[in-house]
Amino acid sequence: MNSQTKRIFAYVFILALGAWRIIFSAPQSADESVAAPQAGFLAPNFILQTTEGKTYALADLRGQAVLVNIWATWCPPCKAEMPAIQKVYEEYAQRGLVVLAVNSAFQDDPAQIAPFREKYQLTFPILLDDAALVSRAYQARSLPSSYFIDRRGVISEVVVGGPMSEALLRARVEEILKP
Amino acid sequence: MIALFQNLFAPPRHIILLVLAVWLGATLAERRAERFGVSKDDLNNFVFYGLFAFVGGGRLAYVLQHLSIFAKSPLSAISVNLDLFDTFGAFAAFAIFLVAYTQKKSIPLWDALDALTPLFALTAVGLGLSNFASGAAFGAPTSAAWGVEQWNAVRHPTQLYDALAALLIFILIWRFKANLPAGVSFLTFVALTSLSQIFLQTYRARPPLFGAWNQSQVFAWLILLVCFFFLESRLSSQTKKN
Repeated sequence: MNSQTKRIFAYVFILALGAWRIIFSAPQSADESVAAPQAGFLAPNFILQTTEGKTYALADLRGQAVLVNIWATWCPPCKAEMPAIQKVYEEYAQRGLVVLAVNSAFQDDPAQIAPFREKYQLTFPILLDDAALVSRAYQARSLPSSYFIDRRGVISEVVVGGPMSEALLRARVEEILKP
Repeated sequence: MIALFQNLFAPPRHIILLVLAVWLGATLAERRAERFGVSKDDLNNFVFYGLFAFVGGGRLAYVLQHLSIFAKSPLSAISVNLDLFDTFGAFAAFAIFLVAYTQKKSIPLWDALDALTPLFALTAVGLGLSNFASGAAFGAPTSAAWGVEQWNAVRHPTQLYDALAALLIFILIWRFKANLPAGVSFLTFVALTSLSQIFLQTYRARPPLFGAWNQSQVFAWLILLVCFFFLESRLSSQTKKN
């Protein structure tokens, strides 16, 4: 048997081994029933109050597309992306987009929120995470952190850091608005 | 230890690992470039302009796929968001650049690919580590002793499997003799990477499906088939010359 024939046997053997592995390795099912702050998982539920005292539970928003944005008034990229979030919110709210701006109140000065809202003319709800419940559940290590959640309540995309551009926001929002 | 690593390179700092791997890979590739008939200057040009082509191509491909969105805010096309990126477009742009550059400089493409192989291999190591730090490309739940806590479950550390496989492939390629036919280093790297993915994808959570099969495994198998075809043609052409 010459060396070329040996090589061809080796190729065929390896390809057959690979094919066997593909055919007999049953794909794992999706983790969509488990809640975790990562694309492909159910978004961890939370219940928080707005600055005006209104209560929001994420689980109640099932059926709508939700953008959860964790931010603080002192964070420069958070400030930079707020106008784009507001603009995209105005554009898509009619189609079912909900924006929940979760303020990291445990590491922010709540007195700064109202002037901040005024300055950027924000109309979406601002929730107060004064006990770091959302920051912990979403393992938010950087500000801002944004979670795009589809109508089934599954996280479609996580964007850590910022500022997000309008195009990025629109592209991701279009994705989560799909039925 | 693992928690310290993940905290240190939490997103967006996980990109540092990838950049370090590219830098180390480029440095090692430069040391070996002349063995493949590629000058150090040409290799550095491959890396420098190639990165531009990769990044620019990835962004351009993304913009082209979302033209109606970028028409509303054209300046977003040059924003610093890393997420506005299409990986397939990036690889296509890099390939086009490499073919055009080697033709212009009359450098055989196989030699250029061989010279760049250490860079590709170490980038694969960096990608695995970067994914581990960010929690991307995570594994399926497991009860294995080496499972790691990630996303509310003990999971296969698939990103570390990927990094380890890439490191072993790099070591193998690095130890290759200098007199191999052109293209063999690169094709061996691609073949072994594809083979490792066929096996390791089994432990990945949420694989994209192609009918009843794992799409990534099927794709890797097809690449393996093409690699063997080219590998044999390179090796048999060498035998004929001898």
